[in-house]
Amino acid sequence: MANNGDPNTKRPEQELVITRVFGAPRELVFKAWTEPEHFVHWWGPKGYTTPFCTIDLRPGGIMHQCMRSPEGREVWTKGVFREVVVPERIVLTDSFADAEGNVVSPTHYGMSPEWPLETLLTVTFDEQAGETKVTLRHAGIPSGAERDGAQQGWVETVDRLAEYLAQA
Amino acid sequence: MPTDTLHSTFAALADPTRRAILARLASGGEASVKELAEPFEMTLPAVSKHLKVLERAGLISRGREAQSRPCRLEAGPLREVSDWVEQYRRFWEQSFDRLDDYLHELRRGENEDGEQW
Repeated sequence: MANNGDPNTKRPEQELVITRVFGAPRELVFKAWTEPEHFVHWWGPKGYTTPFCTIDLRPGGIMHQCMRSPEGREVWTKGVFREVVVPERIVLTDSFADAEGNVVSPTHYGMSPEWPLETLLTVTFDEQAGETKVTLRHAGIPSGAERDGAQQGWVETVDRLAEYLAQA
Repeated sequence: MPTDTLHSTFAALADPTRRAILARLASGGEASVKELAEPFEMTLPAVSKHLKVLERAGLISRGREAQSRPCRLEAGPLREVSDWVEQYRRFWEQSFDRLDDYLHELRRGENEDGEQW
């Protein structure tokens, strides 16, 4: 039951889904996401900077960027576009990388070895009366779950249990 | 975050029966093996096997007092996994906050000097 990252075989339960409505036209939001001169202004948690970013916006094109923490720690990531529909939708892989653009293991940056080498990001931009609803799906499953052959549901389980823990 | 713990937690969570057992313990508190086996068409030894995996992963503990050895949910490892998922959620939520600010900035600039983005 190996899942090779084909978006059609992904199940919603495996995804982290985040939705946000931005008060800007869709073309602008899409540009902000797909042009480096805009992207570097917002990508990453609060206080982080993006000192390097290249985006080759076409299927098979590469996105390669570096994120720097307030303490100066750098994390390089890289993606390959699977789908580009201007200004509606992008689908791209997401991996940890080095400065040369080689994919590296998540453990290189102290992440769990269970995090797959590659995750899949699907971003859709929906226009709603001058505003833009962005839906981000971050799909990835721990390889341990794949090996056990039953992969769906873990994010939901964790969410549900996290709620329980919050009460405990 | 100790990755060996995450590893065994994920392996334990990979099975739907084990997730159902955890969900049952999360909502209903302590339960015996027999009680946990009821919703499944499984033998007691088969359920015991799942419980052993959960116990080894530190996801449940089992009482020593009674013969039924009631199972209870242990929060520690789950907290680590949910922290890990949370890390990604925070990343995107915070990025979106910044994107929102940036878009406002862009549009303000556009209005002030009439420039197109």
